[in-house]
Amino acid sequence: MSERMIERLLGAAAGDTAIISPDHVLVTNGSSHAVRGYVSKAAAPEKVLVMYDHNIPSGSPEDAKIFGEILRFAKQYGFTFKQAKGIGLKYLADEIVKPGQIVITGTRHAGIFGASGAVGFGISSTELSRVIENDRYELIVPKTIGVKVTGTLPENTGMIDAALSFLAAHPDLKCKAVEFIGGDLSDHDKQVLCSMACETGAVTAFWTEEGETETVLDLAEVVPMLRMPCSDILHQTRAPFAPASYVEGRTIQAGQIGGVNGGAIEDLRIAADMIEGKKLKLRFRLTVCPATSTDYILAAREGILTKFIEYGAQISAAGDHSIVKQGAGAMGHGELLFTTGMFTFAGCMGCDDATVATASVETIIRASYGEI
Amino acid sequence: MEKEFKGKIWKFGDDIDTDTIIPGKRGTIPTIEEMKKYAFELLKPEFGSTVQPGDILVAGSNFGCGSSREQAATVLSGNGVRCIIAKSFARIFFRNAFNSGIILITCDGIQDACEGGDIVTVRVGESVSVNGKTFPIGQIPENLLAIVEHGGLIEDTKMRMAQGLSHDWNPELDDAARRKNGYTLVEKILKKNAGVDHVVPGDIVITHPDMFMIHDIYTPYLKDTLEKMGAKKIDDPDKVTIIFDHCMPTAVAHNDYVHYDAGIDIAEKFGIEKLHIGEGICHTIMHEKRYAKPGEIATATDSHTTTYGGAGCFCSGIGTAEMAAALITGELWFKVPDAIKIVLNGHLQNGLMSKDVILKILGDIKADGGQYKSLEFTGPAAHEMSMNERFTVANMALEAGAKCGLFEADEKTAEYYEMPLSEIDWIRIDNDAKYEKVLVYNLDELEPQLSCPQGVDNVHPISEIIGTKMDEVYIGSCTNGSIEDMKAAADILRGKHVPEDLRVVVVPATNYVFEESIRLGYIEDFIKAGCVISHPCCGLCCGMPYGLMYDDERILLTANRNFIGRQGTKKTLSYLSSPKVAAATALTGYVTDPRTLG
Repeated sequence: MSERMIERLLGAAAGDTAIISPDHVLVTNGSSHAVRGYVSKAAAPEKVLVMYDHNIPSGSPEDAKIFGEILRFAKQYGFTFKQAKGIGLKYLADEIVKPGQIVITGTRHAGIFGASGAVGFGISSTELSRVIENDRYELIVPKTIGVKVTGTLPENTGMIDAALSFLAAHPDLKCKAVEFIGGDLSDHDKQVLCSMACETGAVTAFWTEEGETETVLDLAEVVPMLRMPCSDILHQTRAPFAPASYVEGRTIQAGQIGGVNGGAIEDLRIAADMIEGKKLKLRFRLTVCPATSTDYILAAREGILTKFIEYGAQISAAGDHSIVKQGAGAMGHGELLFTTGMFTFAGCMGCDDATVATASVETIIRASYGEI
Repeated sequence: MEKEFKGKIWKFGDDIDTDTIIPGKRGTIPTIEEMKKYAFELLKPEFGSTVQPGDILVAGSNFGCGSSREQAATVLSGNGVRCIIAKSFARIFFRNAFNSGIILITCDGIQDACEGGDIVTVRVGESVSVNGKTFPIGQIPENLLAIVEHGGLIEDTKMRMAQGLSHDWNPELDDAARRKNGYTLVEKILKKNAGVDHVVPGDIVITHPDMFMIHDIYTPYLKDTLEKMGAKKIDDPDKVTIIFDHCMPTAVAHNDYVHYDAGIDIAEKFGIEKLHIGEGICHTIMHEKRYAKPGEIATATDSHTTTYGGAGCFCSGIGTAEMAAALITGELWFKVPDAIKIVLNGHLQNGLMSKDVILKILGDIKADGGQYKSLEFTGPAAHEMSMNERFTVANMALEAGAKCGLFEADEKTAEYYEMPLSEIDWIRIDNDAKYEKVLVYNLDELEPQLSCPQGVDNVHPISEIIGTKMDEVYIGSCTNGSIEDMKAAADILRGKHVPEDLRVVVVPATNYVFEESIRLGYIEDFIKAGCVISHPCCGLCCGMPYGLMYDDERILLTANRNFIGRQGTKKTLSYLSSPKVAAATALTGYVTDPRTLG
C-alpha cells in the first residue's frame, strides 16, 4: 500500500500517533478567538497569526469589542496581528503557507491547505489553546479515502456543486482524511474541493496527482446542488443535501457570492462572465464578497467590480461574511438566501426563520437574473 | 378640541435630539407600536414602560433637533404624549409633531418652575400653569391647530381628498419677476415657485415642489400612511424619486427587508420609475442625477436634504406623513424663514477643506444658531469652492437647525448642471436684501476643525485635539463621500499603511463615486493602505452596522453627526472632521493635522 499524503506530511502511518510542531497557527474572530480565555503562555509566538477577518466592518459593538480583545491578546503574547486582509484561511493559503507546512486553525475549512501540498487541521478552541501554549499537537493519523476525480463539469454547474455531490454521497467522513486524485482541476478548484471536503466530518483533505483510489467523483454527473438548512451550528456537519431543483417554485430573495469558495478572483470572473448582457431581477438582492484584499484589488483592476456595480450587486468588504447576524446581506423573516458560504444553520445570516442554502456561484448568478 | 387640559410632566434639558428620543438603531423597526417602547431608552429607559396617555413633556431649547425621522414624534404620540412645552423646537420635529397630533407650545420660564411628576395646566393660546405659577404663551397657527383637531395629518388629508383636490395653482414667476431685487435667496426661490410677487419672513407660502425624494428608512411608514389616507394615485410620479440607501445592503435582519419590499411596492403601485436600489446615498444621487436643480424646490424625508442648497436649490426635509400628503396633493406649505448671510473671504489653505468651514460656523453659532433660518453663503471663498465642497457646507447647515443652506448660482453651478448661466443667475444675493445678521469669515486664518463628543457644535480647532488616540476612522457619508473627498484621502494614504490596531472604513457615497474611485486607483490605494471598503450606503453615519464601536472607543468620521450612541454604544466617543484630517489620522492612529504631513 502506498504512503498517503497525510502519512507523508506527518511522518507517521495511519493509526499511529503523530506529534506535530505546526508551522502556522491561525486565530480569527470567527470562533477561535475564544482561545484567549484559555491561553496563559505561548511557546512559539512567531508562529501565531491573529486575524480580524469575519463580518468586516464590525456589525455590532460586540464585534468591535472582540477586535479590541484579540488585539490585546496578540500584543500580550507577541503574536502577529492582521486585519483588512480578507479571509485568514485564504490569505494564508494564497500568500504565506508553503507545500509541506502544517497549519492549525479553529475551522474545519482548514482542508484548503491540502490543495497545494500542505496540511491544515481545524480543532476546538481549548485544543488550539494547548497548541499555542506548547507548540505541539498530537493526533492519531487518520485513514485516507482516495477519490479519483474524472470528467468535466456540465454547463451551469461549478466546483461547489461537485463538492456538495461528493459530500452527499459521503455523509459521514469522521476520522478520515480525504485525497482527491487527479482530474483536470485549476488550483482554485482544488482549494474548493479540499476546503469543503471536511463538511461531513473529515479530519482534513488533500489534492494529489496520483494515489490509491477508493471511490470516484465523476464531474460529468454533477448537477446543481444545495446544502440545505439545519437547526443550529452544532448540527452543521449533518445538514442535508438536495439538488437545486428541490426549491423550484420558491422565491429566492437574495444571493451571496463570497468566502473561500465563492469570493476568489476565479469565482468572481465566472460570475462576471455570466452577468454579461443580463439584468438583475427586481426583488433579488445580490451581494458579492471578495475573499481577500488581493482578490478585491484584482477584481477592481479587471473591471469585474465595476461590472457587478452596474449589474446592481452590493460589494462587501473583503472578508468572511458566511455568518452575519447583523451586517451587509442579513436576511429577513421567511426569506431564502443562496450563498457560497458553508453555513446554513438557522439564524446564521440574520433571522432564525430565514432559509439559508449553500449553492454554487453558477446557481446563484442564474437565480439573480431569474433563470432559477 | 379641548382648549384646556392637564397632564403630568416629564422634564428634559436643552438640545434633545431625535436620536435621544428614539435611537437611530431603533429607527427601522417596522411598526410604531413595537418601536414606541424604546422612546428615550438611552436617557430615560423607564419612559417607554411608564409614560401615560395625556402626559406632557417640558424641555429646554432646540427640542427635536437632528434627524427628520418622523418616528421621533410618532413614538411620542404613540405613547400618548399630548403636548410638549419647550423654549424652542427644531423645525422638522415641529412639523412632524403637529402632523402626529401633538400640540407644541413655546414657553421660556416654566422650565425653572417645575420638576418631573408635577402637574401642568395648559390653556391653548393663553398660558401654562404649574406649582402656582402661570406663564403666558403665544397663539398657535390655525392650520396647525386644525391638523391636531382633525386627529393628525392623515385624517386632515383624507378630508381634503374627500373635498376634491385642486390644481388651481399660481403660475411660477417669470424670469423678469425672479430678478426683482431686495430679496434673500430663500425668498426668491420660494416666491418663484409659489407664484407670489412679494414675501417677507413669517409668511406662509404654498409651494409645489419640483422633486420629492423618499429614502428607504421611511418606506414602510410611507406605504402605511398612503394606505391610511386612501391614496389610489399620487399627483405626479415623475416628480418622485425613491432611493434605497439606509437599509441597503440589508443589514438589520428583522427590519431592513421590510423597507426594501415596501419601497418597491410603493414604486410599483404609484408608477414611480426613478428607483435607485443600493446605488448610494440619496442626497448625493439627488444632485448627481440632476434631480434637484438650481432655483427649484426639492423636499425629502431626511434632514440632510439641505445638501442641494449647494446648487441654489431650496430643499428642506419633512416627515413621512407630510410626504404622503404632499405626494397626493402636490403641495407643501413653508413658512418663509429669516436669513443669515455668511460671507466667506480669503482662500482655503493647504490641508483645509470646506468641512472645516462649516464646522467652524457650527461651533460659533451652535446647534440652534440657524433654527428656522436660511443660511446663505457668499463671498469669494464661497465661489472658489467646487460644487462638491458647496454640497458639504449646505449638507451640514442643517446641524445648526437651518431650514436650508443656500449658495448663489455661478459659472460652476451652470457647468455642473450643463445649463446656461443666464437661466439661473437670478439666484444671487441682493445687496438690498434684508438679513437678520451677517457673519464674516476669513478662511486664510482657518485651521482644521473637529466636532468633538458628543454634539456637532462642540467644535475645536485641531490644535486642541491633536494627538488624541483613535480606534477607528470612517471616510464616507453624504457630507464627505464625493470623488473629491476620495481623492483627498487617497492622496494622503497612497503608498503608506495604517496601524494594525486602527480600523479604517471607506465608503464612497454613490456607485458613480465608487466606479470613479476604482478607475482612478483610489480603491486600490485604500486597500493597500489597510482600509476596508463598504458598498456605497449611508453606513455608519446613520448608525448602521458598518464599523460599529464599543464602549470608550473613539472614532473619527467625515460624517455629519456624532450624537450619543449613534456610532456604537452610548459610551462610544465620536469626532467629526474633514477627509484630509481623517486620512492623516488614519496614518498615525492619533488625531493628526494634515498640514504637518510631508
